[in-house]
Amino acid sequence: MTVALDRPAIAAAAKPARRRRFAFGGVTPYLQSAPLALILSAFLLLPIIMIVVVSFWDYDFAAMYPDFLTTNYSDVLGSWVTWKTYLNTIKFAAIVWALTLCIGFWVAYFLAFHIRTTAMQMVLFLVCTVPFLTSNIIRMISWIPVLGRNGLINSTLVHLGLVPKPIEWLLYSEFAVVLAMVHLYTLFMVTPIFNTLMRIDRSLVEAARDAGASGWQVLWNVIIPLAKPGMAIGTIFVVTLVMADFSTVQVMSGGQSASVALMMKNQMSLLQYPAAAANAVVLLVLVLLIVAGILRIVDIRKEL
Amino acid sequence: MTNTTQTKAGISRRSLLKTGAAAVGLAAGSGAISGFPTIWAQSNITLRQFGTGVSNLNAIADKCKADLGITLEMTATDSDAAAQRAVTQPDSYDIADIEYWICKKVFPSGVLQPMDVSKLKYYDELVPLFKTGKLTPDSVIAQGTAPHTVGYVDAQDSKTFAKAPTNWFTMVPTIYNADTLGIRPDLVGRDITTWADIMDPAFKGKTAILNIPSIGIMDAAMIMEATGNIKYADKGNMTKDEIDKTIDFLIKAKQAGQFRAFWKSFDESVNLMASGEVVIQSMWSPAVAAVRSKGIACRFQPLKEGYRSWGGGLGLAAHLKGAELDAAYEYINWYTSGWVGGYLNRQGYYSANMVSAKKFMTEDEWGYWIEGKPAKGEIKAPDGTVMEKAGAVRDGGSFEERMGKVACWNSVMDEDRYMVKRWNEFIAA
Amino acid sequence: MSPEKRTVGFYVLAVFFTLFVLFLYGPLSAILILSFQGETGGLTFPLNGVSLHWFANLFERQAVGDFGGSFKRSLVLGVMVMIVTVVVSLLAGLAFRQKFRGATALFYLAVASLVVPSIIISLGIGVVFQQIGFRPAWYTSAFGAHLTWTLPFGVLIMFAVFNRFSPAYEEAARDLGATSWQTFAHVVLPMIAPSLIGVGLFGFTLSYDEFARTLMTSGTFNTLPLEIYGMTTNVTTPVLYALGTVTTVFSFLVILATLGAILYVGRRRARA
Repeated sequence: MTVALDRPAIAAAAKPARRRRFAFGGVTPYLQSAPLALILSAFLLLPIIMIVVVSFWDYDFAAMYPDFLTTNYSDVLGSWVTWKTYLNTIKFAAIVWALTLCIGFWVAYFLAFHIRTTAMQMVLFLVCTVPFLTSNIIRMISWIPVLGRNGLINSTLVHLGLVPKPIEWLLYSEFAVVLAMVHLYTLFMVTPIFNTLMRIDRSLVEAARDAGASGWQVLWNVIIPLAKPGMAIGTIFVVTLVMADFSTVQVMSGGQSASVALMMKNQMSLLQYPAAAANAVVLLVLVLLIVAGILRIVDIRKEL
Repeated sequence: MTNTTQTKAGISRRSLLKTGAAAVGLAAGSGAISGFPTIWAQSNITLRQFGTGVSNLNAIADKCKADLGITLEMTATDSDAAAQRAVTQPDSYDIADIEYWICKKVFPSGVLQPMDVSKLKYYDELVPLFKTGKLTPDSVIAQGTAPHTVGYVDAQDSKTFAKAPTNWFTMVPTIYNADTLGIRPDLVGRDITTWADIMDPAFKGKTAILNIPSIGIMDAAMIMEATGNIKYADKGNMTKDEIDKTIDFLIKAKQAGQFRAFWKSFDESVNLMASGEVVIQSMWSPAVAAVRSKGIACRFQPLKEGYRSWGGGLGLAAHLKGAELDAAYEYINWYTSGWVGGYLNRQGYYSANMVSAKKFMTEDEWGYWIEGKPAKGEIKAPDGTVMEKAGAVRDGGSFEERMGKVACWNSVMDEDRYMVKRWNEFIAA
Repeated sequence: MSPEKRTVGFYVLAVFFTLFVLFLYGPLSAILILSFQGETGGLTFPLNGVSLHWFANLFERQAVGDFGGSFKRSLVLGVMVMIVTVVVSLLAGLAFRQKFRGATALFYLAVASLVVPSIIISLGIGVVFQQIGFRPAWYTSAFGAHLTWTLPFGVLIMFAVFNRFSPAYEEAARDLGATSWQTFAHVVLPMIAPSLIGVGLFGFTLSYDEFARTLMTSGTFNTLPLEIYGMTTNVTTPVLYALGTVTTVFSFLVILATLGAILYVGRRRARA
């Protein structure tokens, strides 16, 4: 299907400028962007349209029936469970966002402004990256022996006599979920912020300093405003990852905590696809609204 | 670009196989089937099977290749994904290894084809539990989605389940077991006799049940009934009112902090128990064995209300035909011919064909696992590790004692939409 | 900045950074230690002796699942995703240097691709393939699913790169008589090479580790993350941790190699 369209695009890419010379008003950018557009249409737009269509379908015990029903939506939106679960997911998103933003900014700031050589910056940055290359699943379950009732932390604390008996809420709790999420997603905040910080013109900082600004003033009035695009991009990453998460919540809360995606998974496990699809559409709309809001504040396209 | 060509190549490779195998299949069909023809060896026929890691064992694929020459490509998934794959990717497998409760949903969706009982060589030897629902002629049929209720359809093209045995089998039963509570005898400090004991305030924060909605609700039902809160007409098919009562009960217990966790996969349950997070929980027999093999005391405690049972089987994908279909029957006949049965029995599960499985077990193994007798020597797992020392007796006793005391089967209810809705409430509470 | 002497801020932040690194590596070290678990040991502490048993076991046949096959699939898929991501992102990056109709829409589509929850894409692609009657497989449907995850990253990076790429270099090359292709191959490409390597590396890692998007699109065979998840339905052993340790070491080597490649390219450019 894509074969016929891909080829000219690749040929065009191979000789972009020569084409441009004979170009009739810039066919080139269309050809160059065609592969991206095609892939995203086939594997993003089409599936989402499908989900939207299915969310209006009827279903019974075993099969789905093409139809136009709004009951799936009234079921989703009319139940307090949905609202509670969304609130819970948003709560997780907010906490994890605040923590990753705070940690991510200071780590990036340290790397960008306190490390003097580029080589050292790269090395330290890579040190932060390595854990993120281990499988998410393994990284997540690796917290269990650390946090468990007889895990590393608890046995150390008990051994040192700091607590009389193991702390229960370290594992299978909301604390564990947040901890694991921060662990999993902080890099997505560090990278874009580090990127924007590295691009700040150092003479601006010097100028502010020469004009008598204190360290905090420089930070607050010069660096943070200039780092906003990076923070915005990091926020988009983290918020969307948390909103869509099901495995971390499931494993780290010991199944005791709900998330929107987990709710969908439960419906899918009993093959109730139209209900899951309606849930998916609601989640999608919410996430897109959040992102649109962020994009209104910071135009990442201009600032990239 | 690449994907198109690769798919095409894949299809042509498969169709080539089919034509190649067709001739061989004919030969196999005409030859008297005594033992298993090794004719498949020349055909390179491949069957793709998926299912949970419980029964998708590599050892079975190896032995199948050696005995039949059929290459078995096994893919292990978690139980959720198994149901999804069965229904949404029917082209991606030839043999579906799924559980009976989800079969109630999968089969009517038309992705599986019923099998002709007359082609099943060992049909007569299968445990009657899967045909009539009764282990012995005078046993009581357990509640829930009992395998025999979804075991037959009326005709080859039918998708509705038959009330009584017919000539068309939906799945060949392969593996099943009776589940109960697992306990840490060293930590519970008293006798456990009933499902209600999991609600004992003494175990607050140290209990767990399953987090697969269709199974977890059955755990809850067993507990509910044991505490005397309710008497269900049919636990496996609750009314909305019964679902409400059950979930409300669970929510109350959860908010009171009775549960430490809800587990979803086998190894989660093992870790919960082995690490001491939990001292009493709903568990599977081999999980108990896994805990015990680490030198930690763990018992699969029989309870007075009986067991919650589950069963799995092999189903044929609807797209199978010709030589591949023949090979699939061949494989299923081999599966029930004893070697696999012995292997599963030795893991603490039960084989659906006990007659043939017996031939592949030593007298001591048969005595320990099936007859409930004390082990004479060491009982070893299929991989050779020692599971039990001489003198040990299996928790719950013999096959008849355990499978004869099944109170209910894992179930899909008619009100499953409502059930999932309420289950999500329970998790969110 | 970088004043002559270290400020208090530096030390505070250095401590903070160290704590952060410890936090990152803490659980990893638990994996590392537990992967040397004795033969009878389990997935949690305490250690039952110390052995290399589980590393050896990694290369043996497991009771369930197939590390070798799924690792190979994940590797091949990762490389496929990497190549396509690099090429398509580069092309799109070049395209976005000019104005064209639909540019804004396409850009936001790429951003949307990033933010649409993975499980929704997975479900959607699965249903589409089912309705059209295509056979899902890791090299078709899962490949597409992975691209919807890696491409936006690639496009955003290329976008950022070309945003501050001065056309002066190209103009100079053209003034010196280079053809457009020569300009691209000898001027533009070497300058953006490190970013391209970065895009490739990113694409590979994201694909190699992808779970939710593969869940309903992988077809008959599992990728490595799915296989690990599937294996947890049977008795699991510290072999999983051995796998984690080996993967981390492997990733480390890939990063070092990449770093080497960037340095090499840089040096060659310096010489040229």
